[in-house]
Amino acid sequence: MLFFDLCIQGVIQGAIYALIALGLTLVYGLLRILHVAHAALFTLGGYIGVIVTNGSGSFLLALLTSMLIVGVVGMSSYTIIYKPLLNRTPLIALIASIGIFIASEELFRIFFGAYGLSYTNPPLQGQIEILSGVSLSHARILVVVLAIGLLSGVGWLAINTRVGIAARATVIDPEMAASSGINVEMIRFGSFFIGSAFAGAAGVMVSLLNNLVEPTMGAVPSYKALAIIVLGGLGSVRGALVASLALGIIESFGTIYVGHLLDRDSIAFAFLIMVLMVRPQGLLARG
Amino acid sequence: MLQIKGLCCGYGDMTVIRDINFELQEGGTLALVGSNGAGKTTLLMSVAGHIIPKSGQVRLNGVDLVNKEPETRCGLGVGLVPEGRRIFPDLSVFENLVVGGYSRPSNNQSESMARVFEVFPRLFDRKNQLAGSLSGGEQQMLAFGRAMMSKPNLLLVDELSLGLMPSVVDECYNALGKLVKKGIAVILVDQNSDAAIDFCSSTLILETGNQFWHGKSSAAPKLAIC
Repeated sequence: MLFFDLCIQGVIQGAIYALIALGLTLVYGLLRILHVAHAALFTLGGYIGVIVTNGSGSFLLALLTSMLIVGVVGMSSYTIIYKPLLNRTPLIALIASIGIFIASEELFRIFFGAYGLSYTNPPLQGQIEILSGVSLSHARILVVVLAIGLLSGVGWLAINTRVGIAARATVIDPEMAASSGINVEMIRFGSFFIGSAFAGAAGVMVSLLNNLVEPTMGAVPSYKALAIIVLGGLGSVRGALVASLALGIIESFGTIYVGHLLDRDSIAFAFLIMVLMVRPQGLLARG
Repeated sequence: MLQIKGLCCGYGDMTVIRDINFELQEGGTLALVGSNGAGKTTLLMSVAGHIIPKSGQVRLNGVDLVNKEPETRCGLGVGLVPEGRRIFPDLSVFENLVVGGYSRPSNNQSESMARVFEVFPRLFDRKNQLAGSLSGGEQQMLAFGRAMMSKPNLLLVDELSLGLMPSVVDECYNALGKLVKKGIAVILVDQNSDAAIDFCSSTLILETGNQFWHGKSSAAPKLAIC
């Protein structure tokens, strides 16, 4: 029973990682920039989730509002931060991104307080027994369903629509994509919106699972998501999703079986180092 | 149809081509020849919109292209078959063609694709194959097909025969001939400059970025070409 329990915990954690890492890998694929400030959007999503739920009583409204606002803020981050720096070395954009992330933590502290916010009446706390002895809260089930739904939706769009095919072409060769009539700027805006909205959704779900949102809640995802996109193969969306799930499950089992030697984050990075020793290009990137 | 007047362009502070002047009519063909580094690709890429001119005019059907983005130029009728093909290797042949037709309404897609398959039947057989797994010749055909999907008035072809077997080169020239008969104007760069000059009605010779000679191909000073 412990085995199933750990698998389920791993899948839940992997689903959250996948929602966060998708945006990061989309941005890297399009701009070759490590978008560290993406984790600030995750935190922003959490705050909007708690505030709207507490104000309106509707968790669904909170989730949708959060995704919309965080998506728009993500698009603005492209216009304000990255676009003026695109002709410079990627290191400058990386430093700017880290600066924005640190500044955003302080802004959250100033606006929402240092001790965090909680749901006054936490929604989706009912339990369902999925196997004898293994129960899951509605919130945990929603994390997995939401991640599968959102990621499959984007996957379907990428494969079956003209815009999706155009986005994939833009990642491969933006210059030739433009010469084929694709508005590369619109593809970048769209990708920032989707990636940021998904990070917002992840922030709402984590705030619900922990019943807490605090200024520093983006700190761990900021470097964990970087590890995931390196593990999956930089720029590979499929690789990032596989790495998210793998990391979620490795962490879940590792915490129980080797937790007395290494803490959760150490396990994740030890796994990253081991994989990179065998496949330096990442799990699903081309050799 | 295409008018280029006093065109100067380059990269950063460096000017690569200077004071280029020529005109091309509908269905006209121009061979662009010159030694390596003469500025042939720079001239093609400046017409395609990837290099912003330092000065001069580029007009297509009376529309000033100088400040237009590459995607807008594609919509106005500029098609590009770049050096090294630059097809999208991780997309299928079908998806590459969909990308090529992105500037046109989606209900024209089937008709445009049928036209491509008529010229390059081999692409139809490879429709669902990843473009990166095609042979060099098939990739060149796909690069042509992708450019054809946008129904161009002007096709810019860079290094048509580079790395291809002679039989495939002939096939590509035949296909290009069919496009010219349909009224598409072509600016052609080929390492085999004799083949390009034979194919095109007019020739422009570039020498270290300057327009050395321009006129009918039949009168081209062959000794000057290297």
